[in-house]
Amino acid sequence: MALRHFFKHLTILTSSYGFCTLSSRFIHPSLTTLFNNINPKAQPLIPAKFSLPLSHCYTSLSHPSTSTLLSPYLSVRIRCPKDIADVFSEALMCFGASSTTVDEDDNCDTSNEICIESIFPESEDVDVCISLAADSVGLKMIPSYEVKTGEHYDWIKKTQESFDPVEVTEGLWIVPVWKTPPDVKATNIILNPGLAFGTGEHPTTRLCLLLLQRLIIGGERFLDYGTGSGILAIAALKFGASFSVGIDIDPLAITSARHNAALNDIGPENFQLRLVSSNTSSPSADEHKDIQEQTSFEAVAESEHETYDVIVANILLNPLLELADDIVSYARPGAAIGLSGILSEQVPCIIDRYSPLLDNISVSEIDDWACLSGKKKLSGN
Amino acid sequence: MSTLKEILTRRPVAATIRLTVPAGGARPAPPVGPALGQYRLNLMAFCKDFNARTQKYKPDTPMSVTITAFKDNTFEFTVKSPSVTWYLKKAAGIESGSSRPGHLVATTLSVRHIYEIAKIKQSDPYCQYMSLESICKSIIGTASTMGIKVVKDLD
Repeated sequence: MALRHFFKHLTILTSSYGFCTLSSRFIHPSLTTLFNNINPKAQPLIPAKFSLPLSHCYTSLSHPSTSTLLSPYLSVRIRCPKDIADVFSEALMCFGASSTTVDEDDNCDTSNEICIESIFPESEDVDVCISLAADSVGLKMIPSYEVKTGEHYDWIKKTQESFDPVEVTEGLWIVPVWKTPPDVKATNIILNPGLAFGTGEHPTTRLCLLLLQRLIIGGERFLDYGTGSGILAIAALKFGASFSVGIDIDPLAITSARHNAALNDIGPENFQLRLVSSNTSSPSADEHKDIQEQTSFEAVAESEHETYDVIVANILLNPLLELADDIVSYARPGAAIGLSGILSEQVPCIIDRYSPLLDNISVSEIDDWACLSGKKKLSGN
Repeated sequence: MSTLKEILTRRPVAATIRLTVPAGGARPAPPVGPALGQYRLNLMAFCKDFNARTQKYKPDTPMSVTITAFKDNTFEFTVKSPSVTWYLKKAAGIESGSSRPGHLVATTLSVRHIYEIAKIKQSDPYCQYMSLESICKSIIGTASTMGIKVVKDLD
């Protein structure tokens, strides 16, 4: 099925050969090599006059996977004159590119051209898009470009490489699994950052960890609402909580958190993870309806409500507003609740929403980010 | 106009990345992933930051964001509200503008719609110094290039 995509390019190329006076360099290096690989007996349809640089040919056909996270994408490298690079990349965005990247190359001052690297969704027709964009900008000839299907594992690996051990506060380090902890005697949380949120570097994670350090004295039951990589749940256990539960709507987060718990030698007797459905109504009402859709949905029992001593929710403003009742319902009266993932300017909104539910609301801030903490009101409502 | 201090401490720029991301929906998947991952930028930090800043928009509105990646793997980004053409299409409920703008009218909108769009656009970093009237005028201009007529009242 990936072959279909290349045949489409081939027909466009051959039809434009008749009109090639306009485009002097119309290059598809990957095309001939691939075509030759597939069917060596057939005559190449592209005439030998075209010299095709093979510098960027790619040889492996990446198998398209079903999840959007690893869905294949097209990466196109375009060369165009420097002075119109900005306008041209904006035009590309209008005509279907998902992203354009312009490299600032200092040693490229002598040549007039600059490279734009653009990413298109797999279904997009790259040639049409580029010719429309060139047209709208006023280029007389279509700039030369090369298309390749993106290797998703490359960028995943690259982002993971950039993580270093982080000292959140004195005596608490977050260490990626492939690095050694700089201070072996401190509390070290070993993480495999992966694709879930929570590596310890973000101000909101820091705010929550500092809050946890103050709140957890020993023996509490802790709920991490929106657990991501599980970092807060693991930290709570390391600070002395007796039982930690992490819930999230993203299956990737649950897998990541499970993995990280194993890295820190935390077993299922004091650490549990649940995947919850992402609709905002309470799970007990909808679980029967949704149970066919969710593959690993574990119902949160009615008895779980009002049993946690400390709850932290590090998500975003809108979910915090919508799920306020749900979050607070898990806490026993008088329990401490921490909320983060909000910008300082969003704090008044959160305070408005949560003041009927919490007492003693206090706000701490790092950079532009804020963390709210309060105690659940003692009288039930 | 940058101050001398800013010029001296300016970090070397590695690349400028433009992306279209739905509001509140940044994930470490394509297109965000490969585009940022290539420069070893902290994907999760960007996603969280972007999602937090776009909370006030309706979910899934396509926001255009420009990221400046510096050589030391840090980055800055500015988020712009969706293009005027997108707003006009949404307000009119049409998929695309007229095929022959100037000759064929695709649909009509009232001045109220334009006013609402102008108010949203005024919070854009680039339009803050323009009076509401001039923003409206430029929106009406864009509408006419799409074949959308603007009338005082829709009946």
